[in-house]
Amino acid sequence: MKRRFNSKNPASLIVGVVVLAILAIAILGAPLLAPYDPVAQNAAERLEKPSEKHWLGTDRFGRDILSRTLHGGQTTLLSSLLALCAALAIGLLVGMAAGMFHGSALDHILMRIIDVLLAFPFMVFAMVIAGLFGTGLVHLLLAVVSVWWVSFARLTRSVVLHAKNETSYAAAKVLGASNLAIMRKELLPKAISPVLILATFELGTLILSIAALSFLGLGAQPPAPEWGSMLADGRAHFFQAPHILIGPAAFIVATVLAFNLIGEGLRDRLDPYEKLEL
Amino acid sequence: MHTVLLRKLLEALLTLFFATLIIFALIRLAPGDPVRLMLGHPGEIAAQGTSAYDEKVAELRAELGLDRNIAVQYVSWLGRLAQGDLGTSIFTGKQVGSEIAARLPATVTLSLSALLVQIALGLFFGMVASLRSGKLADQLIRVACVALASTPAFVVGLVALALFAVKYGVYEISSDFSAARLWLPALTLGVLGAPQLVRIMRANLLTEFGKIYVSSAQSRGLDRKRVVRHAARNALIPLVTMVALSFAGLIGGAVVIESIFSWPGIGKYALDSILVKDYPVIQGYALVAVLMVVLIHFLVDVVYSALDPRIHHKGEAGREETV
Repeated sequence: MKRRFNSKNPASLIVGVVVLAILAIAILGAPLLAPYDPVAQNAAERLEKPSEKHWLGTDRFGRDILSRTLHGGQTTLLSSLLALCAALAIGLLVGMAAGMFHGSALDHILMRIIDVLLAFPFMVFAMVIAGLFGTGLVHLLLAVVSVWWVSFARLTRSVVLHAKNETSYAAAKVLGASNLAIMRKELLPKAISPVLILATFELGTLILSIAALSFLGLGAQPPAPEWGSMLADGRAHFFQAPHILIGPAAFIVATVLAFNLIGEGLRDRLDPYEKLEL
Repeated sequence: MHTVLLRKLLEALLTLFFATLIIFALIRLAPGDPVRLMLGHPGEIAAQGTSAYDEKVAELRAELGLDRNIAVQYVSWLGRLAQGDLGTSIFTGKQVGSEIAARLPATVTLSLSALLVQIALGLFFGMVASLRSGKLADQLIRVACVALASTPAFVVGLVALALFAVKYGVYEISSDFSAARLWLPALTLGVLGAPQLVRIMRANLLTEFGKIYVSSAQSRGLDRKRVVRHAARNALIPLVTMVALSFAGLIGGAVVIESIFSWPGIGKYALDSILVKDYPVIQGYALVAVLMVVLIHFLVDVVYSALDPRIHHKGEAGREETV
């Protein structure tokens, strides 16, 4: 039972990478590729259904949804990526410290903090932040970072605890390497690959969560061409004009799907700790 | 046995204590003066800047105890929480505690029903996928799971609403809490949570199938159905945690579904309050959500230590097992 999802599946990795590459080109190349100005309004073409002229239709101000989605992807994806990197860095640091000094007071305190944060469902935490500090993308991302690092910290810690049983760790200890050197040379390289695989999955989940909160009106606010605000806007007109929502939603599905497929493909190939909970 | 449970209980209480500290700190850090917010209705705003208004602010501040030392404030706040007093809504003036209590059954009913749907789907498709491992059925289930896990909850919810309420007219949109309105949101929420369970069930079953007792039972010529039944029972044990934790997730995740289906639960109540910045309600919602999660985690620990004797002597058993 070594390979849970058999290695017959490089397909998922390839499909994921291809989909992501196409999306990345389309989104990063939005200024060149988008057929219209994302904020240009056109009263004559309001709420138009998808057509040859507007592939994904227009919204209630006559703005082209495809152009808005492509431009909006930059904000959404870059900010999600940024939040993830911050969470990743904190998680790695905390996890390594807790694992390295396993059983110490530091470990206990860190694990206690993690336990407390685990008791806050992410959606609840994000809602509290939005409620107290105001809605908006920045607050949403702050909420993401303050809760999301926990999963990386737990994974890193368990990888480190594993690695400490290995001969190479004992050898480094015996040879008198400093704790810092051991963390950097011995533990970090071991932690990085499972943590990155987890990050690929988490990025998908993160984009979905941010989308959900934006849909509820707690994320980026309407005038900005950003996926979340387009969703909030599309929600109000869903039953008259479902295409306003479907456009950005389709891009979200494609993006998350790509990350999930890549995550699965990577896990099949790289994961040396099959039993770690990813 | 008792010492383990006692320690778990202490840990749970400690977690709750820190959680109240975080929530209290967040409220203190939030911009805006709660007193001025409470006096925020138009008649008072017109009076702003006058000495009468300032006097009123100072009066209310003293009445609420907001002029005292912050530690004293925290302790007295904690004392009121312990008595179940979550304060009053700035917007409606009603007791937050009783308002939440009135909506809790709707959220719990929805989450539990969704959980049942999720478990049924998870067990069935997980079983099929593991028995047909590598074959077409397995591949199809896998593709469906990845696709579903990549779709935002609100898309599924809106599509369900568009189909069953608008197109076929078999679901009535209203904001009542009734059994007739439960099935669609519960089904939606359950379907959304199913992929995770399917995958874990499949993986657990395959692990069990690979164990020696299964091959020895097979070599003794035991009926295939009976072998599967044995393996399934063993594969179910690790699922207890999964299910309990996903119930905790459901409480938070139900917000989107409650909002789409106008389900009168605590998530929708909190959401409506966020838009009008009703601090006490937001705070009460966070506290209740955390309390439920901590309670569920504690119950899982209790169930586990009853199920698995190996856990008793280890410190952080439930968690360490994943290492």
